[in-house]
Amino acid sequence: MSSVMQKLITPMASGPAEPPRNKDLADELALVDVMEDKLKGEMMDLQHGSLFLKTSKIVADKDYAVTANSRIVVVTAGVRQQEGESRLNLVQRNVNIFKHIIPQIVKHSPNCTLIVVSNPVDVLTYVTWKLSGLPKHRVIGSGTNLDSARFRFLMAERLGIHATSFNGWVLGEHGDTSVPVWSGVSVAGVNLQKLNPEFGLDGDKEDWKATHKEVVDSAYEVIKLKGYTNWAIGLSVADLTESIIKNMSRIHPVSTMVKDMYGIGEEVFLSLPCVLNSNGVGSVINMTLTDAEVGQLKKSADTLWGIQKDLKDV
Amino acid sequence: MMTTKEKLITHVLAGEPVGSRSKVTVVGVGMVGMASAVSVLLKDLCDELCLIDVMEDKLKGEVMDLQHGSLFCKTHKIVGDKDYSTTAHSKVVVVTAGARQQEGESRLNLVQRNVNIFKFIIPQIVKYSPNAILLVVSNPVDILTYVAWKLSGFPRHRVIGSGTNLDSGRFRHLMGEKLHLHPSSCHGWIIGEHGDSSVPVWSGVNVAGVSLKGLNPDMGTDADKEDWKHVHKMVVNGAYEVIKLKGYTSWAIGLSVADLVESILKNLHKVHPVSTLVKGMHGVKEEVFLSVPCVLGNSGLTDIIHMTLKPEEEKQLSNSAETLWGVQKELTL
Repeated sequence: MSSVMQKLITPMASGPAEPPRNKDLADELALVDVMEDKLKGEMMDLQHGSLFLKTSKIVADKDYAVTANSRIVVVTAGVRQQEGESRLNLVQRNVNIFKHIIPQIVKHSPNCTLIVVSNPVDVLTYVTWKLSGLPKHRVIGSGTNLDSARFRFLMAERLGIHATSFNGWVLGEHGDTSVPVWSGVSVAGVNLQKLNPEFGLDGDKEDWKATHKEVVDSAYEVIKLKGYTNWAIGLSVADLTESIIKNMSRIHPVSTMVKDMYGIGEEVFLSLPCVLNSNGVGSVINMTLTDAEVGQLKKSADTLWGIQKDLKDV
Repeated sequence: MMTTKEKLITHVLAGEPVGSRSKVTVVGVGMVGMASAVSVLLKDLCDELCLIDVMEDKLKGEVMDLQHGSLFCKTHKIVGDKDYSTTAHSKVVVVTAGARQQEGESRLNLVQRNVNIFKFIIPQIVKYSPNAILLVVSNPVDILTYVAWKLSGFPRHRVIGSGTNLDSGRFRHLMGEKLHLHPSSCHGWIIGEHGDSSVPVWSGVNVAGVSLKGLNPDMGTDADKEDWKHVHKMVVNGAYEVIKLKGYTSWAIGLSVADLVESILKNLHKVHPVSTLVKGMHGVKEEVFLSVPCVLGNSGLTDIIHMTLKPEEEKQLSNSAETLWGVQKELTL
C-alpha cells in the first residue's frame, strides 16, 4: 500500500540532492549576448551599482568562455512576440538561435542546470534538452511559474489578500491553453470549489473563470501597453534560481519532460509542480486532476508534438 | 445568496482601514524611474509604490508588469495614474521625469527643457503630499534640485538631490577593482557637482582607516605613477560611456536611489553625498545646491558633515557654484 508521499511525489533525479558547497551560491554573474556594445553597457551599468549589491563579480562577453563553470544558465535569448503574435509562431526562428547557443553553454558548463525562458518556452525547453544532451532533470522551462504568479495575484486581489496567501496552480502549456486547476484552489486550507461548486465553471455567477482568462491575456495586454514584459518574468526567474541554488526543495510549476505521465506518449515538456533543489528537478508532484484537466494537458501535448516533429536540426 | 468571498472571509475591522504608512512615488516611468521603482521594490522599502507619468499606456503596462510580480514581493499596493491624486500622502517622491542626455550631451544642456517639466510636476506633488521628502534625480540634478526647492516652497531639508551618491558609488567600485576589495570596504567621497566638475576628496580616501594618500602622497596629482586621478576621470566619463554603449544608464542610478530611500524611510541617520543647499559653506556665496556628506533620516536631510578640504578642493566647489549660478540666474521659474 503506497504511502501518501509515494503517491504524491515521483522522484526524478537519481540519488539524493547534492548538498550545496559555498562556491555554489551566486557569487558571480555572467552576461552573454551577440550585441557587443549593448552587452558591455549593461555590464558596466550593473558594475557601477556594485557598492549596493552583494555579487562581487559581474562579467560579460560575446565569447561563451566567460560562462565557464556556471551553476545555472538562464536562456532568454531569441526573438520575442510581436503585438498579437502567438508564442508558437516564434518557434523556428528561435530554434535556429538555440542551435548556436546551447552547445556552447554545455561545452563550458557541463554540470549546469538550464532554465529556459525564451518563448514558446515548452517547445524551446524540449529543443534545449535535445541540443544539450543533458539529463532531463537539469533542463527546466520557466513554464507556468509566471502564469501561476499572475493567477494568484489576480485571484487574491478579488479577495483582498496577499498573493502568497492564495494557493492555486496553473499548469500545462505556458500560453493560451494553460490549465487552471480549479479543484486545488484554496485559502487557509479552505477549498474554494467546495465553498462554491460552480467555481471555475462556465455557469459561475461570479465568473471566476474570467480571472484565468485575464492571466492568459495579461502578457498580450502588457505588450500592447509598454511593448514587452520584463519585471514579472524576471522576478519569476529569480524565484526559481533561488530554490535551485539554495537547495530548497520548494515546489514550482515549471516545464518538465512529461512523457508517460497522464497518458502522454510523446516527448514533450509541460508545466507540472516540480520540487526544485540543487539537482534541478528532484521530483514531480502527482496532481489529482479531473478528466477534463487531463484531457487539456493531453491536447496541449498533441499540439506541441505537432510542432516539434516538424522542427529541423533538433 | 452569499458570494464565495463572503463564505470564505468575515470582515471584522470596524471603520476605515489605516492605509499606507510608507508610500513611495516615482515620477517618470522611463529607464531610470523603473530601475528606481524595482530597486525600491526588491529592498522591501515601502508598503505602497505609486508610479506617475504622462504616457498613459506605458504607465499602465509598467504598473501591470510590476503587479504581476507581487507574489515574489512584499509591497502589497502598486498603483499608477496620470492623475496626481494617486500620489497623495507619499513619504518620499522620487522625481526622474524629464529629458535625458543624448550621446555626448552634457547634463547642463538639458536645463530649460527640464525646468518647464518641473513647473508642471512639482506643484502637483506638493498639493497631494505637502509633507513629503522630494528626491530629485533628473539631470542636471544640482540645478533641478534648486528648481524643485524654489517651486515647491518646501524647507531645504525636504528637498534632496541624488547628487554624487552615484559618482561616489562608481568611484568606490573602481577603487575596489584596483585593490581587489568589495566597494563597501573602500571609502572615498566625491562631492560637488554631479557631473564633469565633481570633486574627489583624495585626503579622505581610505581602507580600514588607512589613508591612501598617506601611503602615496602623489595620489590625485599628475605625478602619481598609479594614476589614481584616472579613476576619478573614469567616474566622470562613466555615464557617457554607458550611454554610448547601451543608450542610457539605469541600474546603477536605480540602486543608488533605493540606497537613499532606505536611509530616509528607515530613519537610518546614514551619511550620503547628496545635493543640498551649500550657500555659506566652503566659500560658496550663491544659492546653489551641491553634494556634500549629509545625514539622512525620516525628517529628511537633517545635518551636514563639514569636510576638511584643501584650498584647491574648496576652489573647485566655489567654481562649480559660480557655474551653476550662472545657469540658474537665467532661468524663468
